[in-house]
Amino acid sequence: MGDQIVLDHVTKRFTTKTLGDIVAVDDFNLRVHEGECFSFLGPSGCGKSTTLRMIAGFEDLTEGEIELCGRLVSSRKKNLYVPPEERGLGMVFQAFAVWPHMNVFENVAFPLRIQKVNKTDIERRVNEALHHTSLTGLEKAWPSDLSGGQQQRIALARAIVTNPKVMLLDEPLSNLDPKLRETMRFEIKALQRKFNFTIIFVTHDQSEAMAISDRMMVCDMGRIMQIDTPENLYNKPCNRFVHNFLGESTFINVVIQDGKAYPKGHMDQALNLSVPDDAAEEMVVATRPNEIALSGPDQDGYQTHVEKRIFLTDRTEYLVPVGDQLLKVQTPHRVTFAQGEACSVHLVEPMWYPADDAAAEKERARRQLV
Amino acid sequence: MANVRFDNITFRYGTNTVLENFSLEVESGKIVCLVGPSGCGKTTLVRALLGLIKPETGSITVGDRVLFDAKKRINVPAEKRNIGIVFQDYAVWPHMTVLENVCYPLKKQRRPKEEIRERAMRALEQVHMTEYARHLPNQLSGGQQQRVAIARALVIDSDLLVMDEPITNLDAKLREEMLLEIRMIQKRLNATILYITHDQQSALQLCDKMAIMQQDGTLCQYGTDEEIILHPANRFTFEFIGVSNFIPLEKVGNTMCLNVGEKIPFPDAVPEEAANGGYEIGVRPNDIVFDPESPLQARVDSRVFLGSEYNYFLSLGSRQIRVQQSMLDARTRGTADEGETVGIRFLNSRCYPAKKEGASA
Amino acid sequence: MKRLGGVSAELAAVDGRKRLNMDKVMTVVCFVLLLIIVVIPIVMIIFNAFFNEGKLETQMFVEQVTDGKNLEAMWNTLKIALFATIFGTIMGVFYAWLLGRSDIPAKGLMRALFNIPYMFPPFLGAMAWDMMFNGRSGYINKMLRDLFGLTQMPININSVWGIVFVEVSYYFPFVFMQVVSALERMDPTLEESARIAGAKQRQVIWKITLPLVKPAISAGALLILTTSLAHFGVPSILGYAKGIYTLPTRIYAVIYNSGGSFDGIRQGAALSVMLVVVVALALVLQNKILSAGNYDIIKGKSMRPTLIKLRGAKIPLFLLAILTLVLIVIVPLVMIVLVSFLKAYGLPIEFKNFTFAQYEKVFTANGTIAAIRNSLFVSITAGIVCMFLGTLVAYVVQKIRPKGKGALEVISMLPYAIPGTVLSIGVILAWSGRIVGINLYNTIWIILVAYMARYLSFSMKTSSAALLQVHSSLEEAARVCGASHTESLKDITLPLIRPAMVSGFFLIFLPAMREVTTSILLYGPYTRTLGVQIYSLRDAGMIPQAAALATVAIGIIIILNTIVTKITKDRKGV
Repeated sequence: MGDQIVLDHVTKRFTTKTLGDIVAVDDFNLRVHEGECFSFLGPSGCGKSTTLRMIAGFEDLTEGEIELCGRLVSSRKKNLYVPPEERGLGMVFQAFAVWPHMNVFENVAFPLRIQKVNKTDIERRVNEALHHTSLTGLEKAWPSDLSGGQQQRIALARAIVTNPKVMLLDEPLSNLDPKLRETMRFEIKALQRKFNFTIIFVTHDQSEAMAISDRMMVCDMGRIMQIDTPENLYNKPCNRFVHNFLGESTFINVVIQDGKAYPKGHMDQALNLSVPDDAAEEMVVATRPNEIALSGPDQDGYQTHVEKRIFLTDRTEYLVPVGDQLLKVQTPHRVTFAQGEACSVHLVEPMWYPADDAAAEKERARRQLV
Repeated sequence: MANVRFDNITFRYGTNTVLENFSLEVESGKIVCLVGPSGCGKTTLVRALLGLIKPETGSITVGDRVLFDAKKRINVPAEKRNIGIVFQDYAVWPHMTVLENVCYPLKKQRRPKEEIRERAMRALEQVHMTEYARHLPNQLSGGQQQRVAIARALVIDSDLLVMDEPITNLDAKLREEMLLEIRMIQKRLNATILYITHDQQSALQLCDKMAIMQQDGTLCQYGTDEEIILHPANRFTFEFIGVSNFIPLEKVGNTMCLNVGEKIPFPDAVPEEAANGGYEIGVRPNDIVFDPESPLQARVDSRVFLGSEYNYFLSLGSRQIRVQQSMLDARTRGTADEGETVGIRFLNSRCYPAKKEGASA
Repeated sequence: MKRLGGVSAELAAVDGRKRLNMDKVMTVVCFVLLLIIVVIPIVMIIFNAFFNEGKLETQMFVEQVTDGKNLEAMWNTLKIALFATIFGTIMGVFYAWLLGRSDIPAKGLMRALFNIPYMFPPFLGAMAWDMMFNGRSGYINKMLRDLFGLTQMPININSVWGIVFVEVSYYFPFVFMQVVSALERMDPTLEESARIAGAKQRQVIWKITLPLVKPAISAGALLILTTSLAHFGVPSILGYAKGIYTLPTRIYAVIYNSGGSFDGIRQGAALSVMLVVVVALALVLQNKILSAGNYDIIKGKSMRPTLIKLRGAKIPLFLLAILTLVLIVIVPLVMIVLVSFLKAYGLPIEFKNFTFAQYEKVFTANGTIAAIRNSLFVSITAGIVCMFLGTLVAYVVQKIRPKGKGALEVISMLPYAIPGTVLSIGVILAWSGRIVGINLYNTIWIILVAYMARYLSFSMKTSSAALLQVHSSLEEAARVCGASHTESLKDITLPLIRPAMVSGFFLIFLPAMREVTTSILLYGPYTRTLGVQIYSLRDAGMIPQAAALATVAIGIIIILNTIVTKITKDRKGV
């Protein structure tokens, strides 16, 4: 399998009146394989949408090169720029972008009409695309009479009708309600299997990205943080940001003494964790609330009690003091501890990160103003 | 402190009956959430309480004060009911400053000037908005406007505060903060708060007691969060409060079986009346665990990694069921692959009468 | 959104009988006032067109309708309106696209400048163009003739095409403003997705952008059409002397020539029916087209659209836009000012012929001072009365929603569709002693009544829109806070719609200040308005003095407009 999309040192800078220079995309290097579903994930302002728009050809690059299907489409050095209509892409937008002045059939037929495909072929290919997006029977309907989910299906049908090799999806599910979002996720995957295109999926919703992608890129403040499979990213986040961004996290600040980890400021009871060899004196231990074993008192683990119990719809959340910090623990409803009850907590395979980085937080706050 | 009593309330919009003989008593000094799907009549109930609409029958009492009684022809007008209300869209008057907004109810009570000012400032203090007293609402964020609305509701020192979906328009992070804040305010004032929402999650996070209303406008359970989560009174509550699988039961000979195309003997105990037929087993996706020894064998159709958990769709006979496996469980028991056949066990299942044909979800 | 309206009715039901009465009083007041102001004049026109001394008599009507001169006027009206609409629309769409989607420089400034022709009174523009290109004596015409040694005047503005040209210059902003705002609201991804689908820039414009703004285009185009059909000023200044009549100028001529006799007015009424039929057809067309293309393009996150690079065409197009503005705004303005300094019309424009005498006359002559005073009086009074009455009607329609609210709405919007000339005839027929002996003819009050009928819909529309914004929960919150129904109206609703009421006032006051169509038929010896005074000075051949007064009028309009923009900008939005 070859690389279908290659980003080589891609950088985008722009200047704002109030905040000076902003590096929206800082030296992105990326190879997306043929047939892969690849997600760009990050908070707003992380550079994911700008990168997608550069791939589509709606934005120019400040530096670097982009290659699509082995063909150079954007290059600063060679002063090359292929306009969006000649890149042979499919794209679906967040706000559907279904043309309200055309009926469903005409919307889907539009790309073919532009290509001057003959009439019978148009009919056949549009009907096929409508069939695969479960829109058969709605050919004559007007978009304004259809639901959000159906409109997004029109956008999908319009994107697949030209049989593109690369499909760009820009937050395509964000405007749909949660139930529909899940169904559409499955449908997109099914279409991919059927037509075998490469997907770039942009989203800020981590669970959506994890559910759909083969690999994903987490970025923050215009920089790539980590590229890996969803499971690896979730299980081995490279830094605290990625840990916090993917799934729920709970952190304990610890001090290392004699190879043991103590909650910061409370040296009376150590956490029974094996401390990595290269640990600094102060560290942050990170884990997931549902990866903490909660058991009766005097069991394996840190001895404490339940400070507060909160019922959520699908699980129970306990706040458990560790030193003067509160650890968040989540269990299924069937595991019940009363408020104030003594218990043991055991962190299963936590991650270790250096103590907090104030400078990075400041930069994030600045960028959020843009 | 004031308890609230709705007695036999009936209300119709034309021919459309929203509430029929609805009764509910809410204890004083608690946060009580009125939860139900949209269109179940909870907002109608609040509007009746506030005096914005007039029910056909029944009575409404707050403390020992009768606000409405159809039989005795009592109907206290809205402006005399003395109930604090926070609307979903804030309803902060945009042409008045924050302070003027909060002063307004006291002005209408014709209180002396110094008292109005003092009490208004105290109310603003309680929602941490004193430094914004001179601001106009459009200079404030959504969360701050909501605080102003709360201060305006607090200022009349009512024993009853009604909040109608007050945080729906805020973003997730702010929602959490506001929930905490509402809780703190209730602690300080010791007032009764009637909190209306369609969002079970925030109701659970906030309330002392919950009243769950069904689509047809009837009350289906009233109790603490623990009672509702651990002992749902009926199928509606069970379904409304979280995700669930349902599998029909059928008695074959002397054994209770799961009817999934083929009939598989169900190992757990079920109530006796289930033997008459028409019953279903309800089980939450995270109450299903893999157990190789279980007689229930299912095939894994799909596995999706969702971060904090794996989400499986399994085929049990002809039924598709959903299983959630937490990461902790995945680490200790291991995961199942697509196409594999696994044994499953239901922890904590429930038995409910099956839904009638044509009943809406 | 079912809670949005009808709350007062609901609350009223809760409140019991007492409140219902107050709402009822408001409703009845609305119906009665609208009956007096709007319905009676309209009924009088129809009645007098077909009845004489209480008997049905269609002979006069048939005579008028088949009269050759009148048919020609009708034909001219249609021709002018049609071509003004076509050219105005093309021009409006072209500049709207240029400002909305291309990378043409100085957009903010250009957008503000393109709104100027909208404020400029068209009949003053026509005056200026007449000074320049009059087929006999136009200054620039003479200059060109001498320059190229021609035997004839090169351009004759006193023609159907001249009228079309001047109307296009001042009416294209109708389309321009509608389309610019539609382009701004449009989700850019609609165009981007067409690019992705393989369409070239040019194809995107023709197949996506233009079809999507079609509702805005047709709304603007039909506004040009109806305005032009009913327009009096331009055709009367450019065509009257040459015998080119349109229906509005023909009506004026018929009445003027008959010396204001009842027969003349009746003939005018018959012609009015003709004109109303034409305008009504245009409005039916408008409704049809607008409801067919009723789709919503206002959605999506606000993103800046990708601007189309004009490259080599950028500077020429920019210059073209500037040239257009100079031609339709600056040139006429300069011409009027220059002429206003002339000792006598026809003298060459040279420094030695200049004088301030015209301005002296303007400020000393009783007639002109009175005209300014009259215009201020009727404009301000009509503005204030309509502001309150329009709000009252809007409140009744939006919040009380009585039976027959549809009729109420239609009646209050009716004068909007009726040409000013026609309305004047109705007002004359109704209020010159024929009904219960009330005779307002030749007084300032008859002009006021006509203005009120004509402009009521303006304030009603703005107040209506503002009331829709006042969510019912704001009033409910006040009720729960201890305010009675009346108090919540006074404390919450009224203050909230006050800005809209004020802008409704200015929407009436500004056009009323430069009004000529309605007042030209209603003025008496002592009740000339500013517009009428300029018109009659020019008519009497005192063109430099008319120009001086026009300069003063334009000055007043610019000052007022600046004040209004300042006020509306400073106001905090609701």
